[in-house]
Amino acid sequence: MLELRLVQGSLLKKVLEAIRELVTDANFDCSGTGFSLQAMDSSHVALVALLLRSEGFEHYRCDRNLSMGMNLNNMAKMLRCAGNDDIITIKADDGSDTVTFMFESPNQDKIADFEMKLMDIDSEHLGIPDSEYQAIVRMPSSEFSRICKDLSSIGDTVIISVTKEGVKFSTAGDIGTANIVCRQNKTVDKPEDATIIEMQEPVSLTFALRYMNSFTKASPLSEQVTISLSSELPVVVEYKIAEMGYIRFYLAPKIEEDEEMKS
Amino acid sequence: MSSGGRGGKRRGAPPPGPSGAAAKRAHPGGTPQPPPPAATAAAPVAEEEDMMDEDVFLDETILAEDEEALLLLDRDEALASRLSRWRRPALPADLASGCSRNVAFQQLEIDYVIGESHKVLLPNSSGPAAILRIFGVTREGHSVCCQVHGFEPYFYISCPMGMGPDDISRFHQTLEGRMKDSNRNSNVPRFVKRIELVQKQTIMHYQPQQSQPFLKIVVALPTMVASCRGILERGITIEGLGSKSFLTYESNILFALRFMIDCNIVGGNWIEVPAGKYMKAARIMSYCQLELDCLYSDLVSHAAEGEHSKMAPFRILSFDIECAGRKGHFPEPTHDPVIQIANLVTLQGEGQPFVRNVMTLKSCSPIVGVDVMSFDTERDVLLAWRDFIREVDPDIIIGYNICKFDLPYLIERAEVLKIVEFPILGRIRNSRVRVRDTTFSSRQYGMRESKDVAVEGRVQFDLLQAMQRDYKLSSYSLNSVSAHFLGEQKEDVHHSIISDLQNGNSETRRRLAVYCLKDAYLPQRLLDKLMYIYNYVEMARVTGVPISFLLSRGQSIKVLSQLLRKAKQKNLVIPNIKGQASGQDTFEGATVLEARAGFYEKPIATLDFASLYPSIMMAYNLCYCTLVPPEDARKLNLPPESVNKTPSGETFVKPDVQKGILPEILEELLAARKRAKADLKEAKDPFERAVLDGRQLALKISANSVYGFTGATVGQLPCLEISSSVTSYGRQMIEHTKKLVEDKFTTLGGYEHNAEVIYGDTDSVMVQFGVSTVEDAMKLGREAADYISGTFIKPIKLEFEKIYFPYLLISKKRYAGLYWTNPEKFDKMDTKGIETVRRDNCLLVKNLVTECLHKILVDRDVPGAVQYVKNTISDLLMNRVDLSLLVITKGLTKTGEDYAVKAAHVELAERMRKRDAATAPTVGDRVPYVIIKAAKGAKAYERSEDPIYVLDNNIPIDPQYYLENQISKPLLRIFEPILKNASRELLHGSHTRAVSISTPSNSGIMKFAKKQLTCLGCKAVISGSNQTLCFHCKGREAELYCKTVGNVSELEMLFGRLWTQCQECQGSLHQDVLCTSRDCPIFYRRRKAQKDMAEARVQLQRWDF
Repeated sequence: MLELRLVQGSLLKKVLEAIRELVTDANFDCSGTGFSLQAMDSSHVALVALLLRSEGFEHYRCDRNLSMGMNLNNMAKMLRCAGNDDIITIKADDGSDTVTFMFESPNQDKIADFEMKLMDIDSEHLGIPDSEYQAIVRMPSSEFSRICKDLSSIGDTVIISVTKEGVKFSTAGDIGTANIVCRQNKTVDKPEDATIIEMQEPVSLTFALRYMNSFTKASPLSEQVTISLSSELPVVVEYKIAEMGYIRFYLAPKIEEDEEMKS
Repeated sequence: MSSGGRGGKRRGAPPPGPSGAAAKRAHPGGTPQPPPPAATAAAPVAEEEDMMDEDVFLDETILAEDEEALLLLDRDEALASRLSRWRRPALPADLASGCSRNVAFQQLEIDYVIGESHKVLLPNSSGPAAILRIFGVTREGHSVCCQVHGFEPYFYISCPMGMGPDDISRFHQTLEGRMKDSNRNSNVPRFVKRIELVQKQTIMHYQPQQSQPFLKIVVALPTMVASCRGILERGITIEGLGSKSFLTYESNILFALRFMIDCNIVGGNWIEVPAGKYMKAARIMSYCQLELDCLYSDLVSHAAEGEHSKMAPFRILSFDIECAGRKGHFPEPTHDPVIQIANLVTLQGEGQPFVRNVMTLKSCSPIVGVDVMSFDTERDVLLAWRDFIREVDPDIIIGYNICKFDLPYLIERAEVLKIVEFPILGRIRNSRVRVRDTTFSSRQYGMRESKDVAVEGRVQFDLLQAMQRDYKLSSYSLNSVSAHFLGEQKEDVHHSIISDLQNGNSETRRRLAVYCLKDAYLPQRLLDKLMYIYNYVEMARVTGVPISFLLSRGQSIKVLSQLLRKAKQKNLVIPNIKGQASGQDTFEGATVLEARAGFYEKPIATLDFASLYPSIMMAYNLCYCTLVPPEDARKLNLPPESVNKTPSGETFVKPDVQKGILPEILEELLAARKRAKADLKEAKDPFERAVLDGRQLALKISANSVYGFTGATVGQLPCLEISSSVTSYGRQMIEHTKKLVEDKFTTLGGYEHNAEVIYGDTDSVMVQFGVSTVEDAMKLGREAADYISGTFIKPIKLEFEKIYFPYLLISKKRYAGLYWTNPEKFDKMDTKGIETVRRDNCLLVKNLVTECLHKILVDRDVPGAVQYVKNTISDLLMNRVDLSLLVITKGLTKTGEDYAVKAAHVELAERMRKRDAATAPTVGDRVPYVIIKAAKGAKAYERSEDPIYVLDNNIPIDPQYYLENQISKPLLRIFEPILKNASRELLHGSHTRAVSISTPSNSGIMKFAKKQLTCLGCKAVISGSNQTLCFHCKGREAELYCKTVGNVSELEMLFGRLWTQCQECQGSLHQDVLCTSRDCPIFYRRRKAQKDMAEARVQLQRWDF
């Protein structure tokens, strides 16, 4: 028996919008500690990891570990029927091939039940081991989103270089080049507007903008984004989800032979 | 190739006289040649060359006489005696010494050389002349080379009005002068031998008068026809007549063909040289047993009837070579040695080869029934092969891809090794074989690049070319062709492994030799199985062209040859009309009646027109020489009862005014076919039957290609008036039939039901008479056919042929049904335009469609078919489908830059070239690929991948692509007439909700990601000390362990079975399987089973303590 009650139903809607572009079918794993998902995008270049800890739910019951295969497009169709202020409850019976989404309006005058057929998805569980990063940049997520969007109109790849001065995003395309430097800035009125750079050593890596742009779909979830970089490791773009978890995107840096994989 | 040496100038100045005769060899074919100086003046346009036949010449290096003798002396005695066992039977004494006996032989190849004219046979002429050489074999198996003298090249022009004998001689002088100007470096004493006034008529358009004066211009050498034509076409000033340009007639016929036409010789027939009419050659020029000189007028050409329809015991050599390539490179003659050559020689008509041998570099263990000859150096291997060719003296050389690979490779390799004496492979002494690049292009066969290796006097028959020509297959590898026709596979050893085997010991080389022998044996098997020799010889006999033309040229030469022969009988000449290639003048094609789509569960009768287009041409007397152009129609004022106006508005005279020659050709062809079919029924002897069956097939194909010849706008003699008239009549007849059927077979007319025409194609009409048994439908079908045939002009005839019941009509040109010719039992399932036959779909589609049709039509089990579809789709989504079923192949016809839009197979070929240029497909190859998963929005061409690469790297295929782009359309086409909501039912049901997402081993993120263990029972993520099961599944430990063990052993068994299958195919159970055939479904399954087994074992190991 599984029953997860999330007061901030809109969070779930935003989560889905954030990963829907990368992943079509995925398993949601429920355990005593939380509700999680990890999946590769269809081109196997990026990895998405989602965690919603059990404490974040108003009510969390998970009798046994459970994997639920869902088609994210279908799931989004159902969640779109929930109001932004609605409370969402996810329910499933052990061994059942359906999952139920229950939407309650804040004043309890409307309760809607949506039952979705589950899929049986046979895939491997993958995880990226935690490690120390050479540079960690925290910045407003809207700013990051804007930068990625702007650069992608000029080039296909972005070079992210972190130095003492700040973080530089640069690209080059047929029409020309672009460089955007963001300096460290802690003295702001609101903490979410700060740009903070923690650097052990300078690092410069190249990534496909196409994926970066997909990652920024998670911006509504969090005012701040954390970008962790290390040479020889994939970049981690992390958005915190309220106080209850995170969504992380991993992207392998572009190396020459990647050209072939991507095309 | 020396470009200026047309006048016999050669380096090294060989002795003059007859030995110079072999210096040049006629090369038939208008293939791109550096234009000789003379022709440069004539400036033939490059594109013109594609469709025009010119006689061009190749200079040839020859060896000085004594040099040759020296080279040949240097031979190993032991080898010589070994080879001599396979010689041809010795000549009988009277033939060997005297000229007292008629010599009859079946000719296979005719070419010509330029030589000094024969002093004894032609005492009155001198200077260089064309000497024709006919190569053939006698009934006893003796090889013959007959040199024919005295035949001169010529062509016609129409004689200008008022030209008298004096004018002609002046004209002759002018022309001679012009010829001299444009052929300055030629040593020919006289270019234009004579000009004769003859009475002929042009074939184009109906002419009321019987004949007109024409000038027959006889020139000294065949190559001069073209330059002379050029002069006349551009215009020439004639005294008293002013400047005039001429239309030439019959000026584009190859010399050898001209000779065959004038002497009534057809390809592959028997020729007899009467005793006393020939001379033994004074100087032996060839390696043939008999070498004769005679006059062309003394040859007796026998029609292929009775005794003369038989085949001489040709020697057919089938061979294959192996080269030791370097890793990652396709073998190149500049680097990689030839290590083995396997040979099989078969006498035509015998079931088993009488020579089987293999020549190997370095030692090789013995093979049962095979002569293994081992040599220490590559030079010895090559020279042994040359000696073998000369001793065995094959008439026909066959193999797989020999023209593009084996033969050029041997010759180029010998060049690299500087073995100058190697390429003496032809039948002409001391003339060397050389390699040329050619391209062949035709509408029907597309563009093909090839290398041309002319081996004089021996016919080459490359089975690969024949396959590509005659059959549409998804792959033309020897392996898949053999699997298709012989039901037999061979192992496909990748060329990079061959070096390893060669560098092993005599056992591994034996293994290679067995493989090589098989490659030599399969072409012979294919040749026998498909009766290629019979079919091609019969085709050559029917159409009158040499056998070598059948493989190297298109359809039109065959029709042209027949047309020329017939025209000659009728005293007609054929104009050389320049290609009207501009012509976007297309005409309306055949009609197709509206298809009333649906699933018909009542018998449908099919009424067919027998040979519709040929019949129309005969019935309405459609021909070049019966066509009356509109301007002539006004002038001639023909009475309406003596002409036919065709539905497309053209006018043709009726047969009583003038009989057309195309109808006459067709009548003869169809009458001959009828005879052949009648004889076939009588014939008992299997060889005779094979000949007759080949003949009737050749006749049918020839009859049908006449119509195409008239419609080929870039052809030899296009006449769209004829072809558009033919189709317009065809359309009219289909409409007429439909109307008659629907008017007559009604309840008002006393029949039980109203008949309904549900569909009509080019030459057939499908009728539903409404009756429910096959028998009744047949009765009505026959009645309708007889009734309607009566309303047509003979020989147009409507035949009732078959019943379809049940019948699934999807749309025009797409249908399926059970085919009945007798009321008891259906003959077969017949489909048209459905994906069972299309080859650019993957095998899965084909299997699925075939199985569904079978279930629907034969078993009448629609729910069963639906379930089958669902299971297949589910398997696809769960990644349980064999990769081989998902492979799509497409031909790479040109390189990437030439394609306007990006295509999956082209992009893949480009990517594969970057990975490994040696194994990447090249132009002309078929590229196999699968579609893999990639980023959202990636185009199909970005997602194509090499199946082997996919297997090796565990790249997930994209089931959605296959579902949406491959399976869905054909399935919905079939099911829509049968099932409501077919799309929802089949493509979106609950069976689509189980999918498998596999993890590729080499993608970007996988370098960093770690696989996390999941519970073997419920797939939940587990961590910590648990290695196998989660807390909840602990209770099912025993059950799940058994399941894992069972899974492993099942996969092991499957792999074992597949491995054994492959071992059987390679013919040895003791050796490793090396095969990597990309066409073999077993190969993919074996690779996948191997991989799955390894993964299952890893799962099992997790239970270890």
